[in-house]
Amino acid sequence: MGKIELTLKKEPTFSLEAESISPDNFKGKTQKDIANLIIFHGNEKLTLKDFFDIKGTAGNNLDEIEIVINGNLSKVKRIGEKMSGGAITINGDVGMHVGNTMNGGKIIVNGNAADWAGAMMEGGELEITGNAGHYVGAAYRGNWEGMTNGVIKVKGSVGYESMIWARGSTPKKRFPKLICGSAGQFLGLHNHGGIIICEGNAEARVAADQARGFVVVKGKIGRMMPSFKKIGEVSEIELPDGEKISGKFVEYSGDHATSAKTKGRLFVAK
Amino acid sequence: MKKIKNFEDVVCPFCGTLCDDLKIILEDNKIIEVDNACAIGTAKFFSSNVSEHRYTKPMMRNNGKLEEVTWDEALNKAAELLANAKRPLSYGWSSTECDAQRKAVELMEICGGVLDNTASVCHGPSLLAIQDVGCPTSTLGEYKNRADLVLFWGSNPVHAHPRHMSRYSDFIRGYFRVDGHLDRTIIVVDPRTTHTAQMADMHIRLNPGEDYELFNAIRALCRGVELDVKEVAGVPIKQIKELVEILKSCKFGVLFFGLGLTMTKGKHRNVDAGISLIRELNEHTKFNLTPMRGHYNVSGANIVFTWSTGYPYSIDFSKDYPRYNPGEFSAVDILKTNDFDVTLIVASDPASNFPKDAVINMLKKPLISVEPHKTPTSEMADIVLPPAIAGIECEGTAYRMDKVPIRMRKVKNAPEDCMADYEIIEKLIEKVKELKGE
Ligand code: SF4
Repeated sequence: MGKIELTLKKEPTFSLEAESISPDNFKGKTQKDIANLIIFHGNEKLTLKDFFDIKGTAGNNLDEIEIVINGNLSKVKRIGEKMSGGAITINGDVGMHVGNTMNGGKIIVNGNAADWAGAMMEGGELEITGNAGHYVGAAYRGNWEGMTNGVIKVKGSVGYESMIWARGSTPKKRFPKLICGSAGQFLGLHNHGGIIICEGNAEARVAADQARGFVVVKGKIGRMMPSFKKIGEVSEIELPDGEKISGKFVEYSGDHATSAKTKGRLFVAK
Repeated sequence: MKKIKNFEDVVCPFCGTLCDDLKIILEDNKIIEVDNACAIGTAKFFSSNVSEHRYTKPMMRNNGKLEEVTWDEALNKAAELLANAKRPLSYGWSSTECDAQRKAVELMEICGGVLDNTASVCHGPSLLAIQDVGCPTSTLGEYKNRADLVLFWGSNPVHAHPRHMSRYSDFIRGYFRVDGHLDRTIIVVDPRTTHTAQMADMHIRLNPGEDYELFNAIRALCRGVELDVKEVAGVPIKQIKELVEILKSCKFGVLFFGLGLTMTKGKHRNVDAGISLIRELNEHTKFNLTPMRGHYNVSGANIVFTWSTGYPYSIDFSKDYPRYNPGEFSAVDILKTNDFDVTLIVASDPASNFPKDAVINMLKKPLISVEPHKTPTSEMADIVLPPAIAGIECEGTAYRMDKVPIRMRKVKNAPEDCMADYEIIEKLIEKVKELKGE
């Protein structure tokens, strides 16, 4: 068991680039080595110990590493970037890009997360108990492949363009999945096989340009895309990853703007 | 004796149309006549004459007031601020020429700062969309000679690019468009009945902020899909179908789009859908698109930044290598989140058009303004470095909205010892390097 606790002791003036905080980077390092990991504050190259009090050690077994981070981390970016195992618990609000491109392990944010949480995730789990900003699980600029696997759960709302360009594959058993409380516009834009479950309302342009994939909205959609067509009504939805959702839903196919015979599906609570 | 000088084929450094047929008459280094330009272009030339609006000497704030200082004093102070900054931000760069833009990249790289140009508040979203889905495009000359269908979506050239329609897109005779206006169909999609819309053959008056829905409805109809709905964005399906037929049956179509798409709800996604429509129309006919770029060399700023860093705007150099992310490294977001300590504004006036909280933050920290005229930004600055006006008082290259580079001329001398933007930045680079011991 390697438990290591970081507590923010000094509020950064500028955003802090903290991709060094991840189980992969802490693995096998002494507390002193960890304290000396590089962190960028504006154009200054500083170390973790300049901003954090550090307790505990990480140990050698990646999957047993648990990093706990306390404080107002809303200016601290990129925590858990590219992590492949272990766990991070963040007690407080966190800055942009938390858990981006992670492919294993678990991050829990007990607070709100800024934009790009879980962007281009390849696996693992990211849970946010508060709200998340824009571009949750999204593709970075210019990428045609966003989230390819893993699960993101956001209790509160997700902002604009969340889970865009997701790319799942049933034969390869890759089921990128986003579960959120409510969503801003363009939820699941350009979807290519991602699974999205919105527990509440979604603003507009849901699943726009979707080529394939499943989007389930249990609340209402502010404005439906005109290029979706009603197929019928269902009382149970079976998702490609095996999950079943029961309840009365209207099933739509779309987005027909991107293909006349689209395999994309959108379910909206009746 | 008064000395009169005539210049022909002068380029207008105002809007992205970059007209290159102006005539300028000078009397003792004072512009007295501007021919062929539109009203805004003409005004820009006259604004270069020395007046109470123009800075002629560097200024520095002393006891709350801007006072004249020497170039050395002003440049040393500016260099000191930049060299010591931990997160400097530089913004603007669209109303100057390419050499200055090239120097901007160098300066911000050695300062480890953030570099952004005005695209981030105008056509930046177009670039994001182009990075996502590509862009079928050609030059304005090609449109002039070939286009029989011109679609203006969310743009109003009559006021924003006054000579665009007479030089390229409507009235001009082209090689295959021998009857000019009579040989072209003009369609305007705009929530307002603009002056451009009043001149069009067809005006689609959609609800504001619903462009994205309309694009995707058109795309689905182009694919032969019957829609469930009777109207989209307030436009009846019958009219949309009529439009689809016109789009599909033209010989050569062009979509010119403006801030009505890039700065309304959906932003880059509106352009994304627009580009997708154009791509699909190419299965039926020939169709291209071109953004109606505002500032005369904003296109150049994107091009110069891209060939030197890989990215068109919103670039962060804090880690010694360029990173790109509008929304994170864009000037408005950096200012709003107070993620900076010094700003260097060149050839731009963010104090008059940025959101209030961004401006308030900007004014709380040291501000350096490189600007020929008194603007809200320069008047609030701590240091003002007055340049020669590019394309009027010094030469330089600018890129037209269709990315055609055009060499601009010098027609008059700058007042006093005002230097070109690139010379000012070059001097700053030298001094910053010295201070950093490089
Ligand atoms: S249309 Fe633009 S470039 Fe041409 S004269 Fe007017 S302002 Fe200048």
